[in-house]
Amino acid sequence: MATRLPPVDIVIVGMGWTGGILAKELAQTGLKIVALERGAPRSTQNDFSVPLIRDELRYSQRHDLMMDVSADTYTIRNKPSETALPMRRLGSFLPGEGVGGAGAHWNGVTWRWPDHELRIRTKYEERYGKNFVPADMPLQDWGISGPEIEPYYDKFEYTAGVSGKAGNIKGQIQKEGNPFEDPRARDYPLPPLASNLASQMFAKTAKELGYHPYVRPTANASQPYTNPDGMKIGQCQYCGFCERFGCEANAKGSPHITVIPVALRNPNVELRTYTWVTKVLKDSTGKKATGVAYVNVLTGEEMEQPADLVILSAYGLSNVHLMLLSGIGKPYDPETQTGVIGKNYAYQGGANVTLFFEGKSFNPFIATGGWGTSIDDFHTNWNFDRGPHGFVGGAYISVGGSNGRPITYRPVPPGTPQWGSDWKRATAKWYHGALTIAASAAVMPNRYNYLDLDRTYTNRFGQPLMRMTFDYKENEHKLGRHSADLVNSIARSMNPASVIPASARVEPWTVVPYQSTHNTGGTIMGTNPRNSALNKYLQSWDCHNLFVVGANVFPHNASYNPTGPVGALAYWTADAIKRYVKNPGPMVQA
Amino acid sequence: MKNTAKLICTIVLTCAASLAHAQGDAARGEKKFEDCAACHSLTAGENGVGPSLAGVIGRKAATLDDYRYSPALKRSNIVWSLQTLETFIADPQKAVPANRMPYAGMTNAGERADLIAYLQKMSK
Repeated sequence: MATRLPPVDIVIVGMGWTGGILAKELAQTGLKIVALERGAPRSTQNDFSVPLIRDELRYSQRHDLMMDVSADTYTIRNKPSETALPMRRLGSFLPGEGVGGAGAHWNGVTWRWPDHELRIRTKYEERYGKNFVPADMPLQDWGISGPEIEPYYDKFEYTAGVSGKAGNIKGQIQKEGNPFEDPRARDYPLPPLASNLASQMFAKTAKELGYHPYVRPTANASQPYTNPDGMKIGQCQYCGFCERFGCEANAKGSPHITVIPVALRNPNVELRTYTWVTKVLKDSTGKKATGVAYVNVLTGEEMEQPADLVILSAYGLSNVHLMLLSGIGKPYDPETQTGVIGKNYAYQGGANVTLFFEGKSFNPFIATGGWGTSIDDFHTNWNFDRGPHGFVGGAYISVGGSNGRPITYRPVPPGTPQWGSDWKRATAKWYHGALTIAASAAVMPNRYNYLDLDRTYTNRFGQPLMRMTFDYKENEHKLGRHSADLVNSIARSMNPASVIPASARVEPWTVVPYQSTHNTGGTIMGTNPRNSALNKYLQSWDCHNLFVVGANVFPHNASYNPTGPVGALAYWTADAIKRYVKNPGPMVQA
Repeated sequence: MKNTAKLICTIVLTCAASLAHAQGDAARGEKKFEDCAACHSLTAGENGVGPSLAGVIGRKAATLDDYRYSPALKRSNIVWSLQTLETFIADPQKAVPANRMPYAGMTNAGERADLIAYLQKMSK
């Protein structure tokens, strides 16, 4: 029998970037807030200090900071006719767990998704006609526009301490920035990071080819920084242990050193770690959330936490899972294309080419998470004509280099044996002389890519696992071929000694190897309760006192990494909830 | 004679250098302390990623009770003076190999002098 706890005003489920932002912002209301985090408490001093944190085997290979798949995982299949099997080891994507969530071990790349992504259906129909978007692609507008969300991107960039160079300030194109970005009110809080030789060579070639290279914006601090909440961020030391690691120098914009401690200064905010939420509770009408049920994972005790307002801010996939387990909103059915929970799941695509140069020394061990040089001529550039290519979306192309770690980073040219003394000689020779040009490509929704509950497998608490049905479809294959041709042609212009060419992916998606932690969709925002789970304020169409925040609200996945809009939308929703608590009810009439 | 001139010259330069050292500007140093502030506090008892630097000058290294130091720093037997701080901040790993401070070092001597002047001011 669950212990019923004293009621609170707001319960927040998950304490990463979004939970931290909401707790910090809503603390100002004076309402009593309880935040529940299923993982461990984490701090730089106790968990990320050197030399402990520079353990590639423990953190990068064995995923010490990530989701524990022995407690809960996903079952995976490519199409509805297959039987899904549980993912027993993390691979393709790495959900975070513990205070700070994936925000503790991300790389830091922080984009503003432009207006034409947020109004994607409208924009493509205006330009290419009603028949351009295929019938099996449920492409939808987000319900917000670029100008509406601009101030919230700004808030997130200044919170996280993003280093970069603006490309368009109030309509004025800025030298060295991305000329294709939407207008912004002001520059990034910090100047760009130092650039490496590989990025400089890429920038030079890209410029010669007529493209528009710029330094990629990222939450790795180029200088010491104090954010608007007074939180101190240190200067990046270029140690090369960024993605998959917590930052030892407090130099990566992360929730555990910014929004979470700010929230916890308030006596009305309480954080409980090791609390695993199993369900959102509803009243007898099913139209109102009454709190959550959770298990203390250290003691096994079952608890009920009543609350007037419930916010789901766990990893995106966990938010969708909780909605399905709680029976809020109708689960999506791909055959009838009805229902909304689990709909529009999307992921990331792309193509990479690796170049080998004689006599160059790229010093890959000097690195930071998100640094690099990018071109957006084939993504944010709305003037790039998708018509002849027949695809929706695009790809941004970069040379970065987040690490040169000994287990992970062993580039060797084609034809090198895979083991033995020749392989050893080749890894030593080419360690310093390789660079990769990467295209990060969009993935559009498809009616057969979705999330639902598995019929066979259960988690530690006996609840059905979530089932992921996903594969790349024709749009992704077209985009993949275009991206591969493009990066191969840029590679040839750089005159390397040899290359591992990019090729468009033809085989089905699998859970190995690592690809990206850019899982999107499942409880999407939109303009209409028939095809979206949440309104534009990320408020559930079904239960008006339930808000769901994270990349799970994205109706499609653009080429760009997701954390920028995830953070911005958390601030946007916090503002909406401040209005909501004064006058509870649906904020958009269905 | 030539040697004497050289010697005088050396003495003058050395004095000038230590004078510059002594004359670090605490106000500029306060600004430079931003480099340290993500990990170090100047409030006594407030340890972050690094130990509190309140009253650091004159203190023996690795002696705050409530901070977990690296074995390297515990073994170093350093007493923090203007000179030992200067050497340490310039290149922490060279000064005390295997210490746990994740900081590459402050390469500009003038900035180090400013920072140390500020630490000295705050240690009083």
